[in-house]
Amino acid sequence: MKNSIIYLLLVSIGFWSCENKDESVFEKTADERLNEALGTYETQLAGSTYGWNAVIYPGNGGSYGLYMKFNDQNRVTMYSDFKDESAKTSKESSYRLKAMQTPTLIFDTYGYLHVLADPDSDANGGSDGVGLASDFEFAIFPDSISADRMVFVGRKNGSRLVLTRATQAQQTAYNNGAQASAMAFNNISKYKVYFKRITIAGVTYEITVGQDTRSLKMTWLEGTTVRNFNTTYYFTSEGLRFKNSLVNGSTTISGFNNVTWDTSRSQVSVSVNGATSVIGTAIRPLAIDLNAARRWYNAPVSTGGEWRSVSGFHVNGVDDAFGLRALTSDSFPYVVYLYIPAYGSNYDLFAPAFFEDGSLSLHYGNAVRTPSFPADGRIVFSERGTLGDVPTTGPVAQMAAQLYESTGYYLIQTSEKTYDMVNAKDATVWINWFRI
Amino acid sequence: MRNTMKMKRLSGLFFSCLLLIASVVMISCKKEEIGNVDNIPGLGGDDWAKTPVDDWIFTNITTPYNIAVKYKWDQFEFDNVIKTLVPADEAQVIPLLTSIDKGWAKPYVEEAGKVFFNKYSPKLFVLSGSVEYNLDGSVTGGQAEGGRKIVMMGINRFKIKGMSGYSAATDSVYAKFFIFHVIQHEFGHILHQNKNYPQEYKTISAGKYYGANWINYNDRDAQRDGFISAYSASNFDDDFVEMIAVMLMEGKDGFDKIINSIPEGTTAKGTTRAQAQAALRQKEAMIVAYYKNSWSIDFYALQKKTRAAMVSMF
Repeated sequence: MKNSIIYLLLVSIGFWSCENKDESVFEKTADERLNEALGTYETQLAGSTYGWNAVIYPGNGGSYGLYMKFNDQNRVTMYSDFKDESAKTSKESSYRLKAMQTPTLIFDTYGYLHVLADPDSDANGGSDGVGLASDFEFAIFPDSISADRMVFVGRKNGSRLVLTRATQAQQTAYNNGAQASAMAFNNISKYKVYFKRITIAGVTYEITVGQDTRSLKMTWLEGTTVRNFNTTYYFTSEGLRFKNSLVNGSTTISGFNNVTWDTSRSQVSVSVNGATSVIGTAIRPLAIDLNAARRWYNAPVSTGGEWRSVSGFHVNGVDDAFGLRALTSDSFPYVVYLYIPAYGSNYDLFAPAFFEDGSLSLHYGNAVRTPSFPADGRIVFSERGTLGDVPTTGPVAQMAAQLYESTGYYLIQTSEKTYDMVNAKDATVWINWFRI
Repeated sequence: MRNTMKMKRLSGLFFSCLLLIASVVMISCKKEEIGNVDNIPGLGGDDWAKTPVDDWIFTNITTPYNIAVKYKWDQFEFDNVIKTLVPADEAQVIPLLTSIDKGWAKPYVEEAGKVFFNKYSPKLFVLSGSVEYNLDGSVTGGQAEGGRKIVMMGINRFKIKGMSGYSAATDSVYAKFFIFHVIQHEFGHILHQNKNYPQEYKTISAGKYYGANWINYNDRDAQRDGFISAYSASNFDDDFVEMIAVMLMEGKDGFDKIINSIPEGTTAKGTTRAQAQAALRQKEAMIVAYYKNSWSIDFYALQKKTRAAMVSMF
């Protein structure tokens, strides 16, 4: 009895192992499925008759708009909003899909997309060896792919590339240079007045644009409460798009359409939700940060150090208006202008630093009386004297004369360690301060 | 006691069961195949629809010289996957390869013959659009791997006469440093690894090599010690191939100019101007003899052709 049970067991084991044909739970092998997936993605990319609207969000925090048209011969044609030329003229390069750890989309020869990833800082204004921390090899995850929207993740820097299916109208617009037209918005850097305002649906917004980082800030008043909205932006064939939409009561703003630049008036106008508005100027902030001047003054005092500015005052549309870059002292070259609060017991120092024997060196400077802080948020500087042989003409004299302008300045904090100091007289003069 | 007996019997049976199972499994294993391997993605390399650039490379580089050129991005051809590089710009590929053909391949083929060239030339060029940035602030312009593969970097900024934006002052230095120097240097290594140079070469500057410390010297310093470049002072083999690279690219006149411009004075290593010049002349003579004896190549004729090609491009 015992034996027969064991034999039965043996026999059944035999059957059991015979039946084990190493069946996969999938109908096809991993390779077949991978090839199929690669094929499907390629068909989808190349299959969009009018191409794809693309946005990439690189590791530097910005956002950039592109247009891509793929074909089934590994070719892709792009427009990009990085430069005027790349928005006007398309460039063809190549792409391929490859099985890596995941199915991967590789833009395998240099195109407009690569400009952002280029480790050469001359290509994109980023830092050498990193560029803007963008990507050109993207992992594909099936749950991020739908018929009209494909989202990819960069393999090196984790940038996000979002493709949305373009319409015929959009394709035509790109081919007719619509993206380049939208980039007329960049002329906002030519405004001679620091503060810019736009009125949308009865609300006045102050608008602050950081073109290097593609950042945009809108400030408005709700009664007496100050509201701020921050986003990054990019350009499409339709206009300037915000990464996130601004919602203010019943008004939602997701970008600016119909961007135009009026050369004679030096004004940008845009349309928002169908209504056209001109971006105007103002000589003072919409909401004055009353403590900013004191915060600015006290920051180096409490932690040590000083405020620095490389190009000095920007006057009436001209950077480095006084020509500091060409300044020398005893043939040592100028490096940076300093403002050191509480340099002496009752005065501050405003002076250029020169590069001498491998370090910064002060040769002379203006002694500034401890500034006054009127209750309206300004800071006003006045002269106390000079230290050393201060030139009586030239950039250094002009810098001091400008600093002592009697209306004083507003301070606008732009990041933890950067401020813009804007002349309160007419806001056509300002200086960027940074601290290290 | 009874229990233990049972245990024994059972374990004996259990063991034979295992054997049986094993044999069954083995039998069923026998039936297995490795499955369909035709479908492994990327097996046999990447492929894509051929373009005029691919056809040009095939006709002008691969067919005559048996050299493959990888200009499309493949991360795994680059040693350091952490570094940021970008792919080559297609528009740069043909001008670059034409120049390499003109400034390196043709002079060798004309002086030494196709059999020699195709046997010893590296078999794969890999292109990168940008150079590699190192943490110490320096950049890497190329790499070579065992005489088989040469990686050329920074090719998107490569320019020769006639290309838009060409500047004689900067572009010739760029092309020499990032492209031609790399190729001439690496090809020199291939030659001496096949037929070694005479031992006497190593005695010329014995005791003066900088070793790994070469990075702290510049070329001018090294020339005062009897080395053609700082890198050539790192070891015997690199001394040998740096000499070849510089002599071929700069030509006889250029090389003489370098030697004649060595300033008076004695270096920290105790080398005088006369000693440095003599060392470089001795190295030159030995290389000329090596090319003659080992490869039956007239070095000066090769130098003349190479230099003429360089002058025509920059």
